[in-house]
Amino acid sequence: MSQIKTIHNPIGSIERFLDLLLISLIVYMTLKGGTSGACAACKYQRRRCAADCPLAPYFPAEQPKLFQNVHRLFGVRSIVKILENLDEVQRPEAMKSIIFQSYVRDRNPVHGCLGITQQLQYMIWVAEEELKAVNSQLQLYRNGQNHPNPHNMMIHEIGEKQEDLTSQLDLGMGLPVNTNQGNNTIPFFSPVSETQQLQQPQHMSYCSEVNNNHDYNPTPESCKEVLNNHNNTSLAWGQSQFPYNHHHNYGFMNQNEHCSETKNNNSVMAIQSQLVNLQMASNQQEEEVDVHNYDEIHQFLEIIDESQSFTETKEVYASSSGESSKEPIDEIGEKELRRAATCFSLTSVN
Amino acid sequence: MSSSYFNYTNSPCAACKFLRRKCTSDCVFAPYFPPEEPTKFANVHRIFGASNVSKILQEVAPHQREDAVNSLAYEAEARLRDPVYGCVGAISVLQRQVLGLQRELEETNADIMRYASYLGGETASVYGDRRG
Repeated sequence: MSQIKTIHNPIGSIERFLDLLLISLIVYMTLKGGTSGACAACKYQRRRCAADCPLAPYFPAEQPKLFQNVHRLFGVRSIVKILENLDEVQRPEAMKSIIFQSYVRDRNPVHGCLGITQQLQYMIWVAEEELKAVNSQLQLYRNGQNHPNPHNMMIHEIGEKQEDLTSQLDLGMGLPVNTNQGNNTIPFFSPVSETQQLQQPQHMSYCSEVNNNHDYNPTPESCKEVLNNHNNTSLAWGQSQFPYNHHHNYGFMNQNEHCSETKNNNSVMAIQSQLVNLQMASNQQEEEVDVHNYDEIHQFLEIIDESQSFTETKEVYASSSGESSKEPIDEIGEKELRRAATCFSLTSVN
Repeated sequence: MSSSYFNYTNSPCAACKFLRRKCTSDCVFAPYFPPEEPTKFANVHRIFGASNVSKILQEVAPHQREDAVNSLAYEAEARLRDPVYGCVGAISVLQRQVLGLQRELEETNADIMRYASYLGGETASVYGDRRG
């Protein structure tokens, strides 16, 4: 019995030692996670986060989704390679743009940033059309000052056209999509309810990047025009027709995709509308656009940083902000048009 | 695209050529990376990696895969041109244009309001004269 006791005691002490070791290990890991902490990248890859981890500054542990998005789109090796080729100053900016791009791809797996680019091109087109109409209206007013009576009728006619444009915009009919297959497409930021189907006019002029193109065509080719103007370099494979529109409507979602894309649209629009509001509030007078002005792009990315929420409540963010912040962009254009239209109807006195 | 879809059995797609592997009949890249456009896959592979692209294609519905590939190709090219900002730079440019146009619209509408109120005043005075 005494021999058995002596045998058990060493084993008991070993067990106690192992317990103590385990406890200390747990405490150590907890402390490590609590103070310096493994970054989200290393946590995701389940590896030790070194002191000189290149990704640690950009992926805090409390935002794991950030890294997940980036990992899914770019992969660790690609990000590290991109960072290695950049200066210290450029790396934070590059990471912000990568994080943004990955976030957008997560929200919109099919179109990603190309969808936003096309959306913005459409907004530019709409704004230019509005500006044309409003400028012609203004010109008539100016002429009407000198010759009031004959032009009242013309103002009335233009006012009717303006009302048509307003009602078209009300119904989101400003999208001049050629429907190859007869499917109705709904623009990203149509002010109408999401289930409304629209008949699209066939031809509208588009006076932005592509001056000679009279059919509105927000294809990746026109987006590549933006890249061209942005970088002043020729495209790698611009000689062939971009197959983007081969079997689909120009640019925007097919109706089949609409319901699934609605939340994505709302969240992307939420980001954009917040960007519009923030930039309009803080933007200085900029007479010329310098496409190589990294300060302005930096400002853009700062605003993205502030406006984006990458917590696990992003769905709540998207759904709560989507509808309310969908308003500002549309309201700006619509209210002004309505006001102008109202003025025309009031002033068309016979 | 349709011609390359039927031709992929004759020649390997750009992806398999690049990766130096046999292009099988169920190659996921073949319909979207024709052999005539080798740069397209090269760019996409360089930035995103073939496995990531393959995973993205698997997650997307078949009728959307072409769009997904084209958008990835666009983003990859943008990132190669501008390693710092990629396609986000172009988005920033467009955003600025939108803001500029909206500002211009506001100013023009304000001008119209001024003219409208001026003309409304004139009309009211005409009415007043007629009634008087």
